[in-house]
Amino acid sequence: MLEFLNEALALAFAPEVIIFACLGIVVGITVGAIPGLSGDMAIAVLLPFVFVLEPAAALGLLVGIYKGSMFGGSISAITFGVPGTAGAAATVIDGYQAKLAGKPNRALHTALYSSIIGDTTSDLILIFLALPLALVALKFGPVEFFALYVVSLTLVAALTMGQVARGIAAAALGVMLAMIGRDPITGAQRLTFGLPELSGGIGLIPLLVGVFAVSEIMVQIARQWAARRVAHDTAAQGSDSQAYDPAADKMDWATFRSTLRATMLGTGMGTFIGALPGAGASLAAFMSYGVAQKLSRRPQDFGKGSLEGVAAAEAGNSATSGATFIPLFAFGIPGSATAALFGAALIMMSITPGPTMMQNNMPIIYALFMILIYANLFNLVASKLLLPVYSRLAMIQPRFVLPIVLGLAILGTYASGNSVKDVWMLLAAGVLGVGLRWFGVPLGPLVLGFIVGPGLEESLRQALMLGRNDWSHLVTSPLALGIYGGTIGLLVIFRLLTRARRTPAKGEAS
Amino acid sequence: MTFKNIALACAVSVASITAGGVSAADFPSEKPIRLISPYGAGGAVDIAGRILSSVSGEFLDTRVDVVSLSGAGGQEAIQYVRDADPDGYTLLITDYGPLVTTALREDVGYELDEWVPSAQITEVAPIFFARADSDYTSLEAWIDAARAAPDTISVGHGRHLSVPHLPLILLESEADFSTIHLPTTGGSQALAFVLGGQVDIGASVPSTIQGGIDDGSLVALAVATAERVAAQPDVPTLRELGYDVVLPAWYTIFAHRDVSEERRAILEEGILAALESDAAQALGQRTGTDVQPLGAEASQTAYLTTIDNLIAILDHFED
Repeated sequence: MLEFLNEALALAFAPEVIIFACLGIVVGITVGAIPGLSGDMAIAVLLPFVFVLEPAAALGLLVGIYKGSMFGGSISAITFGVPGTAGAAATVIDGYQAKLAGKPNRALHTALYSSIIGDTTSDLILIFLALPLALVALKFGPVEFFALYVVSLTLVAALTMGQVARGIAAAALGVMLAMIGRDPITGAQRLTFGLPELSGGIGLIPLLVGVFAVSEIMVQIARQWAARRVAHDTAAQGSDSQAYDPAADKMDWATFRSTLRATMLGTGMGTFIGALPGAGASLAAFMSYGVAQKLSRRPQDFGKGSLEGVAAAEAGNSATSGATFIPLFAFGIPGSATAALFGAALIMMSITPGPTMMQNNMPIIYALFMILIYANLFNLVASKLLLPVYSRLAMIQPRFVLPIVLGLAILGTYASGNSVKDVWMLLAAGVLGVGLRWFGVPLGPLVLGFIVGPGLEESLRQALMLGRNDWSHLVTSPLALGIYGGTIGLLVIFRLLTRARRTPAKGEAS
Repeated sequence: MTFKNIALACAVSVASITAGGVSAADFPSEKPIRLISPYGAGGAVDIAGRILSSVSGEFLDTRVDVVSLSGAGGQEAIQYVRDADPDGYTLLITDYGPLVTTALREDVGYELDEWVPSAQITEVAPIFFARADSDYTSLEAWIDAARAAPDTISVGHGRHLSVPHLPLILLESEADFSTIHLPTTGGSQALAFVLGGQVDIGASVPSTIQGGIDDGSLVALAVATAERVAAQPDVPTLRELGYDVVLPAWYTIFAHRDVSEERRAILEEGILAALESDAAQALGQRTGTDVQPLGAEASQTAYLTTIDNLIAILDHFED
């Protein structure tokens, strides 16, 4: 026992491993912060180095990138309203509003602390509870996944700030956009209007960056030209000349404490969703956000710059980062793109992910666990040093920053698929975003619908195939019934709570 | 700049390009070779390409870069290679899925005979598996149960008409039984559903199930190759069990037919030497890729056989 621990310690704390982990963190934060570029892309690009580097050093580098990018995504989400990575889509909702309200520093720090807490907890659960959690995750078949996706769509209400009808319309539009491309069951092309460019569907990165970022930039440009408000979206509240007072925007203990509950909820939610193969960080972030809003003491602040909203979303997406390895390590099932890349890296080191991996490769796997934990610490320190710079950057006049962000978004989107088609998609999504803002349609539900749509459709159709087209098959699983029941219970409790507090937040008629 | 100047500039560049083309002696050392893959990084095709990439310097006198273009279901990669200069520096690495299956089902804008194999890197065996504690621990048990109760046993097989799905179709028609075909997002989802008990049988490739076989939670029932596979030597072939189903997949490097024969020969020789090297074999061992290179002629035979088989299966399946 002690022998292999010593060996693992020597591997994990070798100077070159520490250097590579630090390097990975800095690269990760940077690529995460650039809209369109993600940690997964950087890992994919650096994958060949696994053949060259020592296994521990290679793992240090990849872990560093992964963790850095998890938090990096929130930087552009908060400072520019542009999700740097898919996982940060939910962070935009409150993060950007918080920045517009003059608290970029507090929002960024909240994101950092909740990110690190979520990530570390998730790593500890991976180390100590992987097997039991993986066994629960294995119970999720098509029927259970369908229940989970249906429930996640009820979050639309949480993302719409009262405009439920528009939210549902936006979510439906998101699901429809996700259906373009190939039928998940027969593989046939559909809704492509005969355009071969659409046969692979619309990418998440172009849609996300387009709808959030490009449309924002278009609106800003239009505002500068027309000098009048184009969108009644609250994003337009940010005044260019707003004086930023760094002294008033200090992160203090009271602020941290006020977000702790949301962080814990996000951590729990993110860890659980992360362990489910195929569910993903963006879904975890949205679900954490929705649940935190429902259980918050100040639900009316969500969508208006609530730091709780930032904490829940960031803890939610970061908490998937350890948990996503649970099905990979326990059963050799890569449950996410990141897990698949790490799986490939392990295979390239001649380590077969799966149940026997642990006993066959004890020292290196324990070294990986140690790297996972200390990389969080490095991430905290590196980000803490960089944050003052970012929060200053956030307050530079948008007309200087936005063209740069647009350029990066176009480059990043191109790089994400080596495809010019994606750039056109990005610009089209930008135009769509402008239209939606014009009519006051919330963007969050659209993205949620787009993220949930494919899984929802696939699991429904798989479940019906297994149940031989008998719809009652969808309610045969106790686990699925539990998910439906739990959600209804939560909604009822929430209803009673709001009735008790009674805050008038009526949506306008559409 | 006058029209004359532009014309002159064009003439000079055309001359320089042709000059480059003439000096075939330099090929392929003038620039890196790009190996375009229709799959994302980290997948099995990608890893196979990277093995070649890691050892290429010595044997091809140039670098080999693996570039992943997974857009439009892999068609972007194929179109990219097709649109590139036919100078032998842009090659395609793929299995038959995007190249052949898609072309037989959709209007893809290329003909199958436009592609000429340079070398096959490895053959991949479709493999059927089940949970070790299930009722289907042998192929016979599965087929008998399926015959007794048609359309009740479920098989998760990756995408519709994917590499593991086609042998299933062939086996059912050969052995006369029918099951519920459950398309999954890939081998890993099929594996998860089999382990979780939602699906009875899985169809995938050996690397997907290696972990489960090693620890005894899974049993492999049969492989759809002519010979047993190195990774699972105890698993019988379907042919040994009495069913004439041989439908292996391959990871092959293709050049467009417009690339000159001379250059294709240089590529074949260099790639084969690289893949046969000890370094490549060691990397293959390390990554669970059974690197068994085949030259252009043998690869071409495998390519054509696959096309014939697929046409037969798709006709049968879609009528």
